[in-house]
Amino acid sequence: MLAYTLKRLLAGIVTVWFIATATFTAMHMVPGDPLMNDKAVSAEIRANLERKYGLDKSAPEQYVIFMKNMLSGDFGISFTQQNRQVNDIIRDHFPVSATLGIMAIFFATIGGVLWGALTALYRNRLPDIIIMFLVILGISVPSFVFAALGQLLLVNINSLFGASIIPVAGWGTFSHMLMPSMVLGLGTMALLTRLMRSSMLEIVNEDYIRTARAKGLSPSRIFFRHQLRNAILPVITVLGPQIAAITTGGFVVELVFAIPGLGRYFVQAVQQLDYTVIMGTTVFYGAFLVLMVILVDILYGFIDPRVRLS
Amino acid sequence: MSDMDDAYKDKILEVENLNVEFSTYGGVVQAVRGVNFSVGRGETLAIVGESGCGKSVTVQSIMGLIPTPPGKITAGEARLRGNNILNLPAKEANKFRGVEIGMIFQDPMTSLNPTMTIGDQISETLMVHRHLSYADASAKAVALLDKTRIPEAKKRAAQYPFEFSGGMLQRAMIAQSLACNPSVLIADEPTTALDVTIQAQILELMSELQKTEDMSIILITHDLAVVAKMADRVAVMYAGQIVEMGAVDEIFYESAHPYTMGLKEAMPSNRNDRAKKLTPIEGSPPDLFSPPAGCGYYARCPHAMKLCETKQSEEFILSSNSSHFSKCWLQHPEAPKTDGLFQAGDEHAS
Repeated sequence: MLAYTLKRLLAGIVTVWFIATATFTAMHMVPGDPLMNDKAVSAEIRANLERKYGLDKSAPEQYVIFMKNMLSGDFGISFTQQNRQVNDIIRDHFPVSATLGIMAIFFATIGGVLWGALTALYRNRLPDIIIMFLVILGISVPSFVFAALGQLLLVNINSLFGASIIPVAGWGTFSHMLMPSMVLGLGTMALLTRLMRSSMLEIVNEDYIRTARAKGLSPSRIFFRHQLRNAILPVITVLGPQIAAITTGGFVVELVFAIPGLGRYFVQAVQQLDYTVIMGTTVFYGAFLVLMVILVDILYGFIDPRVRLS
Repeated sequence: MSDMDDAYKDKILEVENLNVEFSTYGGVVQAVRGVNFSVGRGETLAIVGESGCGKSVTVQSIMGLIPTPPGKITAGEARLRGNNILNLPAKEANKFRGVEIGMIFQDPMTSLNPTMTIGDQISETLMVHRHLSYADASAKAVALLDKTRIPEAKKRAAQYPFEFSGGMLQRAMIAQSLACNPSVLIADEPTTALDVTIQAQILELMSELQKTEDMSIILITHDLAVVAKMADRVAVMYAGQIVEMGAVDEIFYESAHPYTMGLKEAMPSNRNDRAKKLTPIEGSPPDLFSPPAGCGYYARCPHAMKLCETKQSEEFILSSNSSHFSKCWLQHPEAPKTDGLFQAGDEHAS
């Protein structure tokens, strides 16, 4: 297990290096540079600025400098935000995005497993038909629509009580987090529901479920100990990429709910060609996702012994 | 014969007029049509027949394992020591399943939960039914694995099904089914998925454990060689009915139903008889969506008579202790004599 983990970590480091290199290359191929957004400056000032930021050096030289700094954990200073360290931006805003993402994944997983198991139990009966219809909606409707609808719902609830029970936007308390994380997790929840349903239906017909019944186990014991654990495997498999999708795809929801997450900086930096912020956030997100996928793989090993040993 | 007679006195499981249907898109399949049999204490009853004749459905109905719907037990009773166990709700059924009646299945590779250790799967039964602590149950699980001759039982108990071979898994299945000392073991084609040398070992283990544990075995198989090795009595099933039943010698040496004859002739033997060709039974079994009014074997039977097409035969009893019967009109006192077939009034072989 330890060798497996180390192997995965090593592969992860290579992946992150690759992400960094690819981003660096792509970024420098985009026409323009971080200074073009500034007020028209004289050639002299521009040359000074370029010298200050190291932009006067060739791309390979810049790459080597960037890699050296990255290894020592320094992503540099933002071009667009005066004197702000990229590390500070990440430190200030990532915890917000991460909290939102974790809560969304939490909602999505609990909901997906629950609804999926429920639809499998009530296969082709009314609860199944209703939930599966909602699942189609959840998958096909984009998150900003749900975000707006969610806000509308909150407004109605608040006006019904005549007070701000649950805040419609902003960040800070737990009640701020509820609606955005549910909205963010909705698509994933729908996907997981479908997956869980088909997986459950497949497993009901497995021979070992028949064996469990022949052993005289109660239906609830069979459901929890034999069916659920095996049915949950495919769900865990897609959880890695889904965490990726949720944490990086959260910026739309962050925008609608006015949440000070990292997503906004991530998008803005690309628009403004803020080199250091682009590299910092991309490498950080990349490393985070690689870590998540590795964690999911290890978790998978705990649930399915066949993965653990092979 | 005195052992046999004793066995009849103490009937542990009696099945009476069992009828099972399955609703499908194509219509209703009458999979089991009026099956009667009983199992005595310590005896082995083999149920033989070709695929789709209803032998597995019969035993799965007894265990309450057929999925309902589409399956439905439309009539009949199965009595375990006198108490009906058919159509019970899960809670009631679980008082005998795994306790009084253990069951093992055809494919041990898929019959155990891949994400639980072998030991945990066995101790689970003990914890549920015998209310043992996890530690006690685990210790007993190791003892059970040891009893089924799994080497290094302790180490093996901590392993998962994918670390076992097919034969070892079937041993583990047997260990699991014996956990609560059942009085009946139902083995649904226990050796079909195993290769021949392992088959012999598993069968040997089963007959040994039968003696030490004092249990009855219902053995489902389509392998007559297995029947000859294991069975005390044999029920031959065809198209959802038992067409002939008797002691194993009666079935093999005094076969009284043309279908039993057909099965025997299709069985390879290891005598030096290379010139003798195996004779397959021509045709295929009747459509159980609309079972024939007469004998199910009518269309394939070399001795079929006019009567067979329209009227089902009664059970003709052929031996003094009424152990042997055949459901064939050829056993009627006025039926023509048929070569090879044992008929009422023929000299007994033994």
